[in-house]
Amino acid sequence: MKRGHRQLDHTADLALELWAPTEAELLEEGAQALIALLTEDAQVGAKVERALHIDAVDPTDRLVRWLNEVLYLAISEGFLVAEADLVLHETGLDARVRGQDDGSASLRAEIKSVTYHDLVLTRRDDGSWSARVVMDV
Amino acid sequence: MRIDRIDEFRWRIPKEGRMRVPGLIFASERMMRDIRKDRCLEQVANVAELPGIVGASLAMPDIHLGYGFPIGGVAAFDEDEGVVSPGGVGYDINCGVRLLRTELTRSDVTARLEDLSLALHRAIPSGVGSKSPRALSDAELRKVLAQGARWAVDNGYGRPEDLQVIEEAGRFRGADPDAVSTRARERGRPQLGSLGSGNHFCELGVVAEVYDTSIARVFGLARGSLTVMIHSGSRGLGYQVCDDSLRTMIQASARHGIDLPDRQLCAAPLASSEAKQYFSAMSCAVNFAFANRQMLTHFVRSELDRFFGRSERELGLELVYDVCHNIAKWEKHIVDGAQRRLCVHRKGATRAFGPGHPDVPAAYADVGQPVLVPGDMGRYSYVLAGTRGATEETFGSCCHGAGRVMSRSAAKKAARGRSVFQELADRGIWVRSDSRATVAEEISEAYKDVSDVVDVIHGAGLARKVVRIEPLAVVKG
Repeated sequence: MKRGHRQLDHTADLALELWAPTEAELLEEGAQALIALLTEDAQVGAKVERALHIDAVDPTDRLVRWLNEVLYLAISEGFLVAEADLVLHETGLDARVRGQDDGSASLRAEIKSVTYHDLVLTRRDDGSWSARVVMDV
Repeated sequence: MRIDRIDEFRWRIPKEGRMRVPGLIFASERMMRDIRKDRCLEQVANVAELPGIVGASLAMPDIHLGYGFPIGGVAAFDEDEGVVSPGGVGYDINCGVRLLRTELTRSDVTARLEDLSLALHRAIPSGVGSKSPRALSDAELRKVLAQGARWAVDNGYGRPEDLQVIEEAGRFRGADPDAVSTRARERGRPQLGSLGSGNHFCELGVVAEVYDTSIARVFGLARGSLTVMIHSGSRGLGYQVCDDSLRTMIQASARHGIDLPDRQLCAAPLASSEAKQYFSAMSCAVNFAFANRQMLTHFVRSELDRFFGRSERELGLELVYDVCHNIAKWEKHIVDGAQRRLCVHRKGATRAFGPGHPDVPAAYADVGQPVLVPGDMGRYSYVLAGTRGATEETFGSCCHGAGRVMSRSAAKKAARGRSVFQELADRGIWVRSDSRATVAEEISEAYKDVSDVVDVIHGAGLARKVVRIEPLAVVKG
C-alpha cells in the first residue's frame, strides 16, 4: 500500500498532502514530513524513545494537535521525531516516538504552527487515508 | 462568487447565504485580477458569517490568501453580539513595524554600505530559532509580558520618549502573565530581542521621494535622509498563545453554537470567559512583541553608534512610530451616527487614525498617525498619514505592506540559478541573511508592487502618501 507526502502551493503559507494505508501511519507520515520541512531533509536518528499522549475533540483536531506536538518538541526541545508507533483512541492518541534529542542545530526552516484552515482528513473508498494540512510559516 | 464594482477603488461582495454583512474590498481593477486568482475573497465572505460583525468584512489592497481570515483583512465586532477570533489575529500576534529617522544622509554611507550591512547583520540576532543575547528568568519574562516596551526602556533598551510614539504606548493593559501557558513562555523566553526568520527584517533606507512636505516635516523625514525600519513580532511566544487559544476556542465555538465556515475562524462571544482568557494572553504576546522591537531598536542604535563613532543621539535615531499588524483591540467608533465600543480585528492590516483622534500621539495630532507600509526588499516602502476617511470607513484601518503574489515555493523556483544577493548588490542594495532560501522566498517578484497598494489607499482616501523610502542595506531573518 502506498504511503507518502507532497507539498502543495499556497500563496502565503505551506500546505502538505499526506496519504497512507492507515490513519496511524498517516499521522506518522505527517510527523516525518514536518521534520523533513524543518530540517530541509536532514537524516534523523531514532535513538531516543519518548512517550506522548494527545487529547483532541475529534480526528481532524487530533491530526493538528499531533503535528503541533511534534513541532513543539523539535523547536523547543530539539527533539526530532523519526518514527512513531501510534495507538489511536476515540479522540486522542498514545504514541511511542523514536528520534534524536540534540537536533536544534539541524533546524533550517521556521514553521509557526500547523493550522486548522482548509484541513481535510479522509478515508478513501479503498480504506486508505489522506489528508491536507496548511502550515503558517 | 458575485463581486460588484462600487467605484475606482472599491468592490463589494453582496450579502449572500449565511453572510451577515457584505464584503468590501479596496483594490484597483488591475489588482483585482490577481486577487481573484486565489481563494482570499472566499475568506472575506467567511469572515462576514461570524456573529456580531459590524458594517462589512473589509479587505485592504494587499489582501492575499491566509488561513481563516485573509491577510489584509479587517473586521469589527459588536460588544454584546460579537466574538473574538484568535485566527483573526493570527499566530504572530503584534507582528509589526517601526521606523527610526536619522541625521545621516546617503553620502555618509555610500562607500561603507557593504561593511555597514555586515555590521548590522552581526548586531541583530536573526534567522531560524534566533536567540536573545539576554538570558531571561521566567520571573523577568512575566514582567515583560505585563509591561511591554516599558520593561525594555527600564532595562536600558531605548529612551523613555520612544514610548510616546508606539501604538498603545508600547503596552496593552489587561495583560495577565498567568493566562500564558508554560509552553508559550518557554518558547518565547530565549527569543526576546531577536528578529526571527521569514519576512522579518531590519532595513536601512533612504527617503527617496517626499509627497507631502509639511507632514513629512512633522514626521521628521526629509529627502535624502536615512531611516531604519524594523519588522518583527512576538516570536514563538505569540505562536504558542494562538495555538493554545485555538484549542479552547474550537470547543467554545461548539458550546456557544457558533457555526464555522472554517475551523480556523473559531471564536467565542466577547463576554465569555474564553474570550477574556484569550485577551489576557494575547495582550501578553502583544507586549512581548513591543519589548522585542524595542530591544532590536537598541541593538541598531548601539551598532550605528559604534560603526560611525558618533553618539546615537548625535545620529538622531529617533523613533517615528511603531504599528501593530496582527491584533484585536477594543476601540470606539462611530457607526450609523452613534458611538459604539467594538472589538476590531486587524489581520495583516494597520491602524490608521486621522488628525484629532485622541489615540494619536500629541506630536502627530494635527496630521494623523504615521502609517508604515513596507514593500519588498528590492523596491521601496512608504510612510503614509492616517486620515478621517479611514476613521469613517474602515474602523481607522489601512494596508500593512505589499502582500504576496507568489507562493514561497514558486518564488524559490523563480530564484533558482540566480544570485539574488548579487542582483540586489548591483543595484546598491546589500542584503544579509543566514538563509539563502529565505532571500529566495522574499524576491521582489514574489510581492505586489507596494506602490499599487499605496495608490489605492491614497486614492480611496484611507491615508495620505507622505514619503517613499528605498532600501540600502537589509538584514533578513
